Amino acid sequence: MTAPQQQVQVTVNSVSYERVIDPRTTLVDFLRHELGLTGTHVGCEHGVCGACTILKDGQAVRSCLMLAAQADGANLQTVESLRNVETGELHPIQQAFIDEHGLQCGFCTPGFLMSTLDLLAENPDPSDEQIKDALDGNLCRCTGYQSIIRSVRLAAARVRGGKVAGAHGSA
Amino acid sequence: MAITIPGSPQDMPTTAPRYVGKEVKRIEDPALVTGTAEFIDNFALPGMAHAAILRSPHPHAKILRVDTSAAEQMPGVVAVLTGADIKRWCNVGTTAPEGWGSTPMAVDKVRFVGEPVAAVAATSRYVAEDALELIEVEYESLPTVRNPQDAVAADAPLIFDNQPSNVIQDRTYTWGEVDQVFDDADHVYTEKFRWNRVGANPMETFGCICHWDVVNNSLTCYGSYQTPSFIALGRAASLNLPSNRVRVVSHPHGGSFGGKGGPRGTDIAALLSRKANGKPVKYIEDRVEYLLAGAGQSWDRYYQASLAVTADGKLTGFKVDLVDDQGAGAEGYGTISAAKPLAAFTGCYTIEAAQYHMKLVATNRAPTYAYRGYGPPPHNVVLESMVDIAARDLGMDPVDIRRRNYIQPDQFPYTIPSGNEYDSGSYAAVLDKVINMSEYQAMRQQQREAREQGRLLGIGVVNTVEPGVFDWNAYSTVGVPGVGVPEGVKVAIDILGHITVTLGFTLEGQGQYTLAAQLVADYFGVEMDSVRVTYASTDVAPPHFGHGGSRLGVALSGAIMGACKKIEEKFRLVVAGLMQCEPDHVELMDGHMRVQGMPGAEMPVAQVAGTMLGRSDLLPPGMEPSPEATYVWTADDRNEPDDQGRCKSYLTAANACHIALVEVDRDTGITQILKYFIVDDCGTRLNPANVEGQIQGSVAQGVGAVLYEEYVYSEADGQPLVSLFSDYLLPGIHEVPMTEKAFIETPSPVAPLGAKGCGEGAIHTTPATIVCAVNDAIAHLGVQTRETPISPNRLWKLLQDVVEEN
Repeated sequence: MTAPQQQVQVTVNSVSYERVIDPRTTLVDFLRHELGLTGTHVGCEHGVCGACTILKDGQAVRSCLMLAAQADGANLQTVESLRNVETGELHPIQQAFIDEHGLQCGFCTPGFLMSTLDLLAENPDPSDEQIKDALDGNLCRCTGYQSIIRSVRLAAARVRGGKVAGAHGSA
Repeated sequence: MAITIPGSPQDMPTTAPRYVGKEVKRIEDPALVTGTAEFIDNFALPGMAHAAILRSPHPHAKILRVDTSAAEQMPGVVAVLTGADIKRWCNVGTTAPEGWGSTPMAVDKVRFVGEPVAAVAATSRYVAEDALELIEVEYESLPTVRNPQDAVAADAPLIFDNQPSNVIQDRTYTWGEVDQVFDDADHVYTEKFRWNRVGANPMETFGCICHWDVVNNSLTCYGSYQTPSFIALGRAASLNLPSNRVRVVSHPHGGSFGGKGGPRGTDIAALLSRKANGKPVKYIEDRVEYLLAGAGQSWDRYYQASLAVTADGKLTGFKVDLVDDQGAGAEGYGTISAAKPLAAFTGCYTIEAAQYHMKLVATNRAPTYAYRGYGPPPHNVVLESMVDIAARDLGMDPVDIRRRNYIQPDQFPYTIPSGNEYDSGSYAAVLDKVINMSEYQAMRQQQREAREQGRLLGIGVVNTVEPGVFDWNAYSTVGVPGVGVPEGVKVAIDILGHITVTLGFTLEGQGQYTLAAQLVADYFGVEMDSVRVTYASTDVAPPHFGHGGSRLGVALSGAIMGACKKIEEKFRLVVAGLMQCEPDHVELMDGHMRVQGMPGAEMPVAQVAGTMLGRSDLLPPGMEPSPEATYVWTADDRNEPDDQGRCKSYLTAANACHIALVEVDRDTGITQILKYFIVDDCGTRLNPANVEGQIQGSVAQGVGAVLYEEYVYSEADGQPLVSLFSDYLLPGIHEVPMTEKAFIETPSPVAPLGAKGCGEGAIHTTPATIVCAVNDAIAHLGVQTRETPISPNRLWKLLQDVVEEN
């Protein structure tokens, strides 16, 4: 039995990839297992937990609910893009999560970071309520969210203070 | 040589701790925020195959035929496993009590929906799942035991054919003069409660890669294991291997909370590997599998409780009758969760006599497992609700009745009727602090004003004792053997003075690697960054248990202090030799070995280590050149239980008081938490930020359990109705209250550094607090809720009754 094949071209974290895949491959499986970008995690595979959140053309999406084929031609951003590979410096959002103890087991964290990246690109100074609304689609079983809200607040302040590239590549 | 473990951070060889007791940043975090931590599904072995498991759609059925021929022929399939393989290769798993275990895959019959029936290893998970669809299984349905009532019916079908009935255990424990106390009481209150099934649901499900070395007949299991050595022993037993031929390598895992699972999935992947001639096999449980039949179901309870009270509000006796639906056997050690309440049966109170009737029954629901708290959360809903019932009847404020009955600070160590000894506590001080912080009287005023406007506001005031640092003896009442839970570490200083801590557990979220680095850095006066903490697999690690029972922070502290102390003793001998003085005159302080009374006669610890490893000519004759030490800690003074299960079990007794203000919407039955206050006392706070994280996270799980989460089973046919996160409602960021917290510190006089177990206190307390608050909101309407979760549907129905009666 030969599965039909599908050609997919995507840009992930500014690198272009072209692969021939089984058409039913989900986007998250493609990222993790085809491209080896395992920072994006899988928590439920039915679009509730948000662990697999990435940015597609600048918008937060759940990569478990999409087929890789649907992302053909898209510009994707995953957690691996956040750390500056030249300097080794963490993104202010990452650093803020460390500084405010915004994680425990860290499994859901990449999803929270990407949702936060999306939020801050659109709203650099969110209120607590706006933070909650933006992160309502991400589940965390460890922290009880309080330290996550503090982390996002701190990240927002730092991103506003410094000139840090956001989700949409703007300064 | 007896090693004395410091009882307080002040007893450490440092003028002032730089890290212990401070909110240091976690050393675990850089890997986690960059997505580079090696969670099991990020890891692969060359040539690895991928497993998928076919699961039973029936709660109870005979397996008549399994035909895997088509699956075996499918391209890409490397092995297919069925009950026939299990029969020749596997043993039934051990349980407590014995005799209620299963093989990892059903052999002749299935006992719950989701039980594995066959499995495939193939070139990808996609192909493996395709192959499952080609497997034909013929079943013959058996009558379903839906609930405990079915289980004990006269004509009940037997779930375990080796047992005479479906009752796993039925025993009554009596502690003190219970009958007398109840006879003498001015008031006896009796109520029924129902706690529905909830469970852990870590964000990462279970996963493993198993490699059966068919040449050497040994097994290596890489996976998200919470208690690696326990898992290794279990695999040896179930897979017929000597225990030294099973090696478990635990990977960082995405939460666990007791309910990670592992045994069945590991055994299946291991046997697939064996069948595939040693090809490694990965199995990653998916969320549907986890929700249906993973290790995420716990505490399915029916209670009746009685409280004996004097006219002036003194609590004198407490009786609890528990029927606990364990599901299909005891493979997940769900039985232990019925035993653990013994460690704090009567909570914060001087109740003098108690009785516990514990009836554990098997049904065709999924087997129950451990979950954070391991049993006391429902027990505390019962105890604290009963206290409120008494207060309401006696016209007392819930605060006053609690204060009236506290164990007083000068009564510690205090032995409770069920046998455990509490080490220390300042319950009234905790209560006072939370009352002030919450402006309790002002909240009562707010409640009155709201009620005049027809709004239903309620306040819950609940205090609990959190047993910390478990010991196996706590679970003797369900047949768990043994006393003592060894936890070991190795601390080694290299020739350049860099320090490595080796331990037997990996990252799970609580920050214990950071704690290890804090402790060692302060002990030897080095920077925390320079201490490396590294994981050792079960074959090479010192004896260990790992996470569980609010124990690891304390146990790890004991082990690290012990190992550091042993190194210090060696260094004393080396330096005494070099400086020509008595070893007793050498002391460690702030990273230097100093000769007392000789200013300037000192060596940094790095230099001593370097001397040991590089200049054997300078060492005392016969001295081993080894600047490292292993120390294995277990709590002192634990004893064998008596015939009523009484013993000194959990070492520490932390305590907390929560106050919640809730509003119940009369039209929808929705409960909203308006304010939430916590004061807790877990002794010395070794890393306050970690403690706060444990509390807040545990509040979230408590809120989930009391308001949202429930494994629903069909009353008609016993089928599970929950298989997705859209059915099983985990609390999100809008549901969890942003709590206001404070603490006091009453150090433990018996635990290393005075720290108490603190991982479970809030889930012990939050469900009871919300139940009491909701009941406070609706009591004047003449109704009360006695069932969790207090879903809008349940509460609305209760309130409808009131409307209709009116």
